[in-house]
Amino acid sequence: MAALNEKKTCSQRMENFNRFVWNPDTGQLMGRTLINWVWISLYYVAFYIVMTGLFSLAIYSLMRTINPYTPDYQDRLKSPGVTLRPDVYGEGGLEIYYNISDKNSWEKYVTTLHKFLSAYNTTAQHANINCTSEKYFFQKSFLGPNKTKYSCKFTSDMLENCSGLENSTFGFPEGKPCLIIKMNRIINFLPGNGTAPRVSCTAQHDDFSPLELQYYPVNGTFNLHYFPYYGKKAQPTYSNPLVAVKFLNVTRNAEVTVVCRVIGTGITSDNPHDPYEGKVEFKMRIQD
Amino acid sequence: MKKEMDVDDHQLSVEDLELKYQTNVNKGMNSTVAGEILLRDGPNELKPPKGTPEYVKFARQLAGGLQCLMWVAAAICLIAFGIQCGQGDLTSADNLYLAIALIAVVVVTGCFGYYQEFKSTNIIASFKNLVPQQATVIRDGDKFQINANQLVVGDLVEIKGGDRVPADVRIISAQGCKVDNSSLTGESEPQTRAPECTHESPLETRNIAFFSTMCLEGTATGIIVNTGDRTIIGRIASLASGVENEKTPIAIEIEHFVDIIAGLAIFFGGTFFVVAMVIGYPFLKAMVFFMAIVVAYVPEGLLATVTVCLSLTAKRLARKNCVVKNLEAVETLGSTSVICSDKTGTLTQNRMTVSHLWFDNQIHTADTTEDQSGQSFDQSSETWRALCKIVSLCNRAFFKSGQDNMPVPKRIVIGDASETALLKFSEITLGNVMEYRERYKKACEIPFNSTNKFQLSIHELEDPRDPRYLLVMKGAPERILERCATIMIKGQELPLDEQWKEAFQTAYMDLGGLGERVLGFCHLYLDPGQFPRGFSFDTEEMNFPTSGLCFAGLISMIDPPRATVPDAVMKCRTAGIRVIMVTGDHPITAKAIAASVGIISEGSETVEDIAARMRIPVEQVNKWEARACVVNGGQLKDMETEELVEILKMHPEMVFARTSPQQKLIIVESCQKLGAIVAVTGDGVNDSPALKKADIGVAMGIAGSDAAKNAADMILLDDNFASIVTGVEQGRLIFDNLKKSIAYTLTKNIPELTPYLIYITVSVPLPLGCITILFIELCTDIFPSVSLAYEKAESDIMHLKPRNPRRDRLVNEALAVYSYFQIGAIQSFAGFTDYFTAMAQEGWFPLLCVGLRAQWENDHLQDLQDSYGQEWTFGQRLYQEYTCYTVFFISIEMCQISDVLIRKTRRLSVFQQGFFRNKILVIAIVFQLCLGCFLCYCPGMPNIFNFMPIRFQWWLVPLPYGILIFVYDEIRKLGVRRHPGSWWDKELYY
Repeated sequence: MAALNEKKTCSQRMENFNRFVWNPDTGQLMGRTLINWVWISLYYVAFYIVMTGLFSLAIYSLMRTINPYTPDYQDRLKSPGVTLRPDVYGEGGLEIYYNISDKNSWEKYVTTLHKFLSAYNTTAQHANINCTSEKYFFQKSFLGPNKTKYSCKFTSDMLENCSGLENSTFGFPEGKPCLIIKMNRIINFLPGNGTAPRVSCTAQHDDFSPLELQYYPVNGTFNLHYFPYYGKKAQPTYSNPLVAVKFLNVTRNAEVTVVCRVIGTGITSDNPHDPYEGKVEFKMRIQD
Repeated sequence: MKKEMDVDDHQLSVEDLELKYQTNVNKGMNSTVAGEILLRDGPNELKPPKGTPEYVKFARQLAGGLQCLMWVAAAICLIAFGIQCGQGDLTSADNLYLAIALIAVVVVTGCFGYYQEFKSTNIIASFKNLVPQQATVIRDGDKFQINANQLVVGDLVEIKGGDRVPADVRIISAQGCKVDNSSLTGESEPQTRAPECTHESPLETRNIAFFSTMCLEGTATGIIVNTGDRTIIGRIASLASGVENEKTPIAIEIEHFVDIIAGLAIFFGGTFFVVAMVIGYPFLKAMVFFMAIVVAYVPEGLLATVTVCLSLTAKRLARKNCVVKNLEAVETLGSTSVICSDKTGTLTQNRMTVSHLWFDNQIHTADTTEDQSGQSFDQSSETWRALCKIVSLCNRAFFKSGQDNMPVPKRIVIGDASETALLKFSEITLGNVMEYRERYKKACEIPFNSTNKFQLSIHELEDPRDPRYLLVMKGAPERILERCATIMIKGQELPLDEQWKEAFQTAYMDLGGLGERVLGFCHLYLDPGQFPRGFSFDTEEMNFPTSGLCFAGLISMIDPPRATVPDAVMKCRTAGIRVIMVTGDHPITAKAIAASVGIISEGSETVEDIAARMRIPVEQVNKWEARACVVNGGQLKDMETEELVEILKMHPEMVFARTSPQQKLIIVESCQKLGAIVAVTGDGVNDSPALKKADIGVAMGIAGSDAAKNAADMILLDDNFASIVTGVEQGRLIFDNLKKSIAYTLTKNIPELTPYLIYITVSVPLPLGCITILFIELCTDIFPSVSLAYEKAESDIMHLKPRNPRRDRLVNEALAVYSYFQIGAIQSFAGFTDYFTAMAQEGWFPLLCVGLRAQWENDHLQDLQDSYGQEWTFGQRLYQEYTCYTVFFISIEMCQISDVLIRKTRRLSVFQQGFFRNKILVIAIVFQLCLGCFLCYCPGMPNIFNFMPIRFQWWLVPLPYGILIFVYDEIRKLGVRRHPGSWWDKELYY
């Protein structure tokens, strides 16, 4: 291979490269003549136009087959996730760390809660109807305005002491904070199999005194008439029911890990790979 | 070099020698002492040249171009993991896994390559032990046959005609001993060996016979003065091994290709690193993108595929008796454009065989085929019977005992080449010669010697009532004729007059002109009155008549070409390969063999032939008219290199005769200067420089010396030239098939890369993860890409010219562009269609996906709303992302099945090639599907390798794209076939 392996000097390489970029003998630019470049470009333009067309057609026909009200599959949504408000994350996950005497340390939680609950004030909920039944609120047809289905009203005053209406600081300065538990909505999901699912919070390590809690609404239940959820298109004004938990006797100056589960048939909270499925875990530390 | 030859053993007296080596010239050594010396000096064999240490070999496997890139990627992963760990990120373990996977890939591929290399080295090693050389040694006064590698300095050995000298031997006594030193000095004249010191240089003196040279005739005893690597030839061999090996064409191709891939990977990675930084990703994230792009773009499985493909071919070749030492050499034969072939043993059978007989004033042709399948001649003449008797009786060669069941040509004979030929000839025509000789008791004999130039023996007759003795003689024809008074024609003794003498001359010239060795035969019935039974014949005084004999006939012998060679040479020619004969033999013999095997084709003339035909002086002949040319070593010596190149260009059919090792090297270099890829076949130590210089050296397994085998890249176990043709065919096939494999492997890099590009630029949730990419590269797609190596040739590859190493690259622009921007693009579209389908059907519409990345990947966001208003936790989204990976993976797999089908052919329609003819490929597709199912549906997969069980219809979404790929490629091939040379052909044929 002697002939093939001859070492080229740098200037030879440069010359070769220059020749590649523009070869004056054959009129080739980067190894092709200009007309050749035009042809090949046209070919590729045509190719990609056709391919993009086919792709668009595929996506279009896909969207035609999609039901706008309910998803085809809910493979990942077997059990709803549970979230906490205020949702402030620290290094170890959700953390409610504050100092009673330091207003700045708890004000952010209060603000978050107020902001969150603003979607639940009477004006925001005025489009929703009052529901009183303790059963699932099934709606076969679209009876609501603009071909929608009705959504039940959930206003912040249902959270009573934790509504932020009477006590606008949600009990933070007193060391008896209100936290709000929300269950993710899933279309056509019927939690509890006829009995209303309820929130139950426990301290993970009951080293201190057992937690003394107050749930709002009473018993910490999600009323069944908020279920099933019919989707954004059918229920544009739907809002998730909430449960507020007031912690009455949190040990001061100690970290308490609390787990709040939603208990009800069909809601699992033991998935090791998803810590927010059916439960929410957070740390609390209230300092004097 | 001369300085190192500080041997003075040739100048010592026998007594001094005995003292120096603790030996005895009659009884030999004491065997216990010999054992001790053996332990001290090691076995008497040439050590293979010191190879690179094993760990360096292994390290080399880990440090190729692609491997380096993967090391970098792994390092980035580790750094990213470290930083993320420091920040307490929960998802950072992915990067650790990826780093481990990458390192594992490099190491496993490296181990595989190393194992392959190791295995082929082992084949050579095991082969070496198959045929141990034997030597006759005298120890403690007894003769033994032992393996030559057990010999030690001081051993008393016996050498006889036909033996290979087992070590450097100081001759103590000799009878007509001649050795062939050609492999050492280049002179092919047999050299006499005798006890006297004739020269102060050990190389020149007559009393030392050198290791591995051939003893041609006579016998000798001597004391070993050097063994193993300390022998003269050992020193030359170890010096020669310093010559650097040439890179194989396929290595150059792969390097070229890896350079491009690595360059592009870094270019893509770098571009998107910059893009990501500009868009506003943090530095670390951008680094991870860079790494991911490198992982997606680099074809991790390619090196393994290439290695496996090559070793498959190597295995196939090994079944056909070609052992490949260096895997890459498999392909080299395919691109070979010139074969410089040795004559003896490669083109010829390497055994003298009776080819013609002249008796009754007629030339008869004997059967020279290896298996005696040819035609025989008329054996009814009385003269033939007489001649046959002489041939059988006047012969000292005999069969080694215990071979009665073997076919005659295969039996081992003790005796020199021509006697062997005659013995086998008479055994075949007459049957049981040994018994025949018993019946004609030998009374006395004079063996052949160079002064008499004849051999004679006197026998009693078979019939006890007939008291006559029969004197039989053979030898150089002119000497035999001198001693004859009569000639036998049709059983009648006629006076040998001028007319008969002329007839003899014509026959002798004819046979000699064929390059054959001719012997004359005559006999005489001695007068029973003068020589009664029991007469004591004296060979010294020759008290019997040695003239006035009756001439019986001539027999000529040649080392005939192997039966398969002419056909093989023809095939080489049709394949556009030039076969050049380079031999140490005489020009006449060389030319005769060249003509008979087709190296000089029928009707081709040399300059001399033209001159003779046109009756003009050689100088006036137009040299360009002569197709053939025979150059001998003497002419070559006076030639400039340019002149040689000129001659090589001028005459397509070349024979080089009487060449020395240096000249062989020069011939090879000149061919390479012409841009040819040269294969050299050879067997001797003298061939080893040329073997090494050649792009591929092919050594003979049976006749080859160890030095030649060490220098060679390939070994023909059966010494058969036809195996080279098989090698060429396989080499070309593997080049074509590698092209297909690589095209197949490269294609999927685009659908692996585009998810990242879209992910970075459009911020959709990641469609395809790095671990999944590694699964495609190293798990599911390996088998199909290897199975392409089993694909049959599309056209008659042996009718094409060898590829031009400058133009016909393994990976050319058309291949890369077509694979990347057309098939790869279609696959990407298939992947994204399936991805958006899976997303939309689970609740995430395509438009929502765009720009969703930041929220999607926010692990603090546990209630992200999809298009239906449903709320998803991070964990649920992650599993959805894994579903996307799997769906994308399945899309690539489905398209790759279509891809492997279209890659079966480059020009023909797949329907012409046959879907199911390549069974391995069918199995590979089934295997790929099963593996895909296993990865998807095996429990536990989601959390280990991020594969999710996906819905059945998502397997079907990419199908239309697969069909599109197939149809599109069929159209491409149709265009290429219908319009050769058109724009379409140029742009789309790879």
